[in-house]
Amino acid sequence: MAVGAPEWVTTRLDYVVNWARRSSLWPMPFGTACCAIEMMASAASKYDLARFGMERMSFSPRQADLFICAGRVSYKMAPVLRKIWDQMPQPKWCISMGACASSGGVFDAYSMVQGIDTIMPVDVYVPGCPPRPEGLIHGILMLHEKIKGESVTDRELHERLRAEDPEKVGRAALPDEAINELAKPFGNSTTQNKPSGMVATKALERPRDRKP
Amino acid sequence: MADDKRFDDALDELEQRPATEGPEKPAPEPGPAGEEPPPVAALRAEFGDAVLRHEVHAKGEHVVFVDPARVREMLGWLRDEEGQEFDFLLDLTAVDYGGGRPIQIVYQLYSHRRGGMLRVKAELPLDALEIASVTPIWSGANWLEREVYDMFGVTFRGHPDLRRILMQENYAEGHPLRKDFPLRGRFTRAEQTRRALAMEVEDYYIPSELDVVQRAHDHAAAEAREDA
Repeated sequence: MAVGAPEWVTTRLDYVVNWARRSSLWPMPFGTACCAIEMMASAASKYDLARFGMERMSFSPRQADLFICAGRVSYKMAPVLRKIWDQMPQPKWCISMGACASSGGVFDAYSMVQGIDTIMPVDVYVPGCPPRPEGLIHGILMLHEKIKGESVTDRELHERLRAEDPEKVGRAALPDEAINELAKPFGNSTTQNKPSGMVATKALERPRDRKP
Repeated sequence: MADDKRFDDALDELEQRPATEGPEKPAPEPGPAGEEPPPVAALRAEFGDAVLRHEVHAKGEHVVFVDPARVREMLGWLRDEEGQEFDFLLDLTAVDYGGGRPIQIVYQLYSHRRGGMLRVKAELPLDALEIASVTPIWSGANWLEREVYDMFGVTFRGHPDLRRILMQENYAEGHPLRKDFPLRGRFTRAEQTRRALAMEVEDYYIPSELDVVQRAHDHAAAEAREDA
C-alpha cells in the first residue's frame, strides 16, 4: 500500500472507516407502539435486516450505534429515552420511525412528546403510520448514504457531524422557542383556545358543557 | 403569519356557528320502586336514605346512586352479606360530565358466587373531592384508586399509598381527565419537556421501589407457616 501520498490515504481511510461503520450498524430498538411490530417484521426472515449487517438487535445501549425509536413517546418515557441515548458510545445515529416518534402524530395531547427531535438529535425520519418494513429499510439505506459522507480525518467536518455538546446531555435537544413552535397552529399549551381543546381555565364556557 | 390569521378566522367562524346537537338522548329510566332488583331492594331495606336513587341503563344494567359518606360501609355490606356476596370489584373509575356537575365515582361489582353484576355510583361535588378508600375491602382497588386520584384529583381517605400512578411523579399541571383541563396541558411544550427530562428515573422505576420482591418473600413465608 502506498502510504506516502496524504490526500490519497485520507480519502481511502474515510472510505474504509465509513464502510465498516455503515455495514455493521447495531441497532438499539426502542419500540413503544405499533411501529415496533413493523421493526420486528423488518428484522425477521422476509425482510431480513441481517442483509445490512444488523442482525444483532442490541438491547444494551453500550453495544449499540443505531437508535431506532419506533413508536410514540410519552413525557414520562422521555428521560428514559434521553438516558439511553446518552449511554450509547460515539459514533451513534438515530432513526425516528413513524409519525409519532417524528412529530407526535395524532397524539397532540398533554402527555406526549411532540417529536423525539425535541429531546435528542435525529438523523433520519421515516414517515408512515406505521411505516412498512420497506420504509424502515429505505431509511436505513439513507442513513448508509449519510454515513458515507462522514469523515474521521477531516476534524472540522467530524466535529460538525458527530460532536455532541456536553451541555446537552440529559437536556432537551432543541431551544425552548423551537419546541413551543411545534404547538402551532392550535396555539401552545397555555394559549390554546380553539376547537381541539377548550379555553384553558374557562372550560365551563363551552356551550355543550353548560348545565341544561 | 397570514396563514395563522386565516386559520384563526376560520376557527372563529366555526365557533360562532350554532352548535349541531345530536338527537336528544332519552333520560335513563328511573327504576320503578316495585321492580328494583334484589341487591338494590336489599340495600334500600338496610340503609334507607343512603340509597339516593336507582336507574336502569341499556335495559338491564342496574345503577344505584348512594351517599358518598357511607359508601365504604355499604360496599363492605354488599361484599359480606349473605345473598349479596359481591366478592369481586371489576372496576373502580370516575366520570366528569363537565359543566360543574359532580364527579361520579363508579364501582362495578361482580359476584362470583351468584354471577350478578351491580354498578354503584357516588357523586362528589367539585369542591369536596374526598371519599373513603375501599382498598381495605378489595385490595385490587389500590391502583384503581391511585389512577382516579391521578386523573381526577379525588382523595381517597385511608388509602395506604395515594400518589400518582400514570403521570410522572413531578407532574404539576393538575389532573388531566377533568373537563376543565386543557387538552395540551397547562404548561408550554418547552416547560413540559424540561420538567420531564429533569426527572430522575431511578427514583421511580426500580423494582424494589414497588416492593414486589419483599412481598413475594412475605407471601412465601406466610404460606410456609400455614403448611407447618
